[in-house]
Amino acid sequence: MSLMDKLGVLTDAAKYDVACTSSGVDRRGNGKSIGNCVAAGICHSFSADGRCISLLKILLTNECIYDCKYCRNRCSNDIPRATFTPEEICVLTMEFYRRNYIEGLFLSSGIIKNPTFTMELIFRTLWLLRNRYHFNGYVHVKAIPGAAPEVIEKAGFLADRMSVNLELPTAEGLRALAPNKHRKSILTPMRQIQNGIQVNQNDLVLYRSAPRFVAGGQSTQMIIGATPESDYHIINVAEGLYQKFGLKRVFYSAFVNVTGDKALPALPGGPPLLREHRLYQADWLLRFYGFRAEELLDENRPFFNVMLDPKEDWAVRHLEQFPVEINRAPFEMLLRIPGVGVKSARRIVAARRSANLTFMDLKKIGVVLKRALYFITCAGRMMYPVKLEEDYIVRHLTEEKDRIQFGSDGMSYRQLSLFDDGNYSKPVSPVEQLQTAVGQL
Amino acid sequence: MIVYRCEASLESVFTAVYLAYEQKRVHEDTVLCLSDEPLLFGEDVKVVPDISKTHKVIRTLIRRFGEDDYISLCMALASEDEESAQAVYRTIVRGLKSECPRGHLFDCLADANVHKAFALARGVSTEIGHQKQFLRFQELDNGVLYAKIGAKYDVMVFLMPHFADRLPIENFMIYDEKRNLFGIHPASHNWYLLRGEEAGMRLELSEEETYYQELFRHFCTTISIEGRRNQKLQKGMLPLRFREYMVEFASQQWKQ
Repeated sequence: MSLMDKLGVLTDAAKYDVACTSSGVDRRGNGKSIGNCVAAGICHSFSADGRCISLLKILLTNECIYDCKYCRNRCSNDIPRATFTPEEICVLTMEFYRRNYIEGLFLSSGIIKNPTFTMELIFRTLWLLRNRYHFNGYVHVKAIPGAAPEVIEKAGFLADRMSVNLELPTAEGLRALAPNKHRKSILTPMRQIQNGIQVNQNDLVLYRSAPRFVAGGQSTQMIIGATPESDYHIINVAEGLYQKFGLKRVFYSAFVNVTGDKALPALPGGPPLLREHRLYQADWLLRFYGFRAEELLDENRPFFNVMLDPKEDWAVRHLEQFPVEINRAPFEMLLRIPGVGVKSARRIVAARRSANLTFMDLKKIGVVLKRALYFITCAGRMMYPVKLEEDYIVRHLTEEKDRIQFGSDGMSYRQLSLFDDGNYSKPVSPVEQLQTAVGQL
Repeated sequence: MIVYRCEASLESVFTAVYLAYEQKRVHEDTVLCLSDEPLLFGEDVKVVPDISKTHKVIRTLIRRFGEDDYISLCMALASEDEESAQAVYRTIVRGLKSECPRGHLFDCLADANVHKAFALARGVSTEIGHQKQFLRFQELDNGVLYAKIGAKYDVMVFLMPHFADRLPIENFMIYDEKRNLFGIHPASHNWYLLRGEEAGMRLELSEEETYYQELFRHFCTTISIEGRRNQKLQKGMLPLRFREYMVEFASQQWKQ
């Protein structure tokens, strides 16, 4: 099999993995080898689905012994199989990297023979890349659940980020769809990496030149929509992972049915992309905006609002805390205003020291006024005379987005009214004119 | 009103700033102008760029405002905007007068000049980020890596340190075709700029180059998930103007 074909097969096999970030590590070049790392990460291209291409995302092999029902590479699936040699991966990475195609390597793998053997192969590739090819750029590898802890540790000293996929939010879901994987075997390496990072940080305080262990932190991913968990459940799991396992990122992957297994839901409308989007928005609220999971959702409202983003949704349900005075409100409260991001909140706090801010200034600072104006005052005045009323605000927040979508699925905030029908203002079509003329309507 | 007539270069603008302080001008009544347009009641002073004065200004800026804010001022000047010199000058004056702590030069965004400088710097910074992302090297037959860009602003001086740090052992050059400017990095040596050279040089790609381009193109098409196709999002993240310089969007498609 040619390298071109192998790359095709093993990219195709890896593309459902979400994580493609190259962030979290700031490492200058050392003048002797190739590569450095930028803390914010760099995306080098964007594929036709709009997802970024930052790392060379490939599998070491797709010859997997497991039979997870959702996975394209399950052993009972009839697809072309291939395996890279460590050298091939190294050459590809180096040649792509020096042409500025990629920011580094993302290496995952199907389970070949057994987890420890697979992890050893991954480690060997990493070792070659770092020591023989002198690659100093970003490397993200998977820790294979069930592999011997020693190999995972060795790999951790060469990688910038490691991840163990949680796959499904609950143990029941995992049992149903991935018979070879167990919740415990997934959480064990996660805990090991967390402890490793902690120990390493203590070492680094003592010895500045100690080797770094998983400097970019660890991440995980969950498949959304393959099992019947609610958003509330998922966001709680994510919060737990951030707090108890010290994860850097939790990724959500809208389920794409690639195997057609009968245990999996059929998705006639395509993958649940809007749901995934709302989860990411909520994820950001958890990590950067000081929200807690139970503030966003609860048992009685287990799913996110389709029409409002989670922050708007929270705000219209907590109108007693609004309007917020921009020139006085504490930073934490500024963060909770829809249309104000972390950067704009920081700029507001800095700028209001030297001047009383007006709505014009807010616009310059980067606040999205069309969302924020219902919730803020500048020097005691609102931008327009608006009613601080849930119905009114929701109507205005949603109407500019997409009038047709609004209420089309029977979900509406609008009070029922005889004359205020959404279809009322629709122009009469020629067919309808004809029908009226001949008395069919 | 005093009008300092500068060229669109860092040296010229910083020399003018030095002169304005040296000659004890009233800053509210002083203008730094990049164009030759006559101003009513203006008394023109032609600025001759001076290296030592520029260095003195740079030292002061770094000491008073910190490295990051100094870089932001440089970025604002790289925007090639006609009002950039004036905005930077007024920002400096305001910063020095209010004795703002290091790293807080751009805090007072309610000030029109500070905001102008800030907005210009942000625009240039975005362009630098885009070029770091989307620039593509091609290997020539003598092993030199060559990249062609068509940058919106003059960002070469900000790109070169990034790539010199990243590829220290490579010979590479970046060519800005809009400004006819080369950034050249000989392996394990310092980089430098070359302006005004003829661009019509011989460019022969190495034997392997087309193969790796094909490989990457293949990778890019394979990694996309059909069920999530969203070209509007792609266009938002990767504006069309970059694509003519990127190998993965070159016309030839990977054939089996």
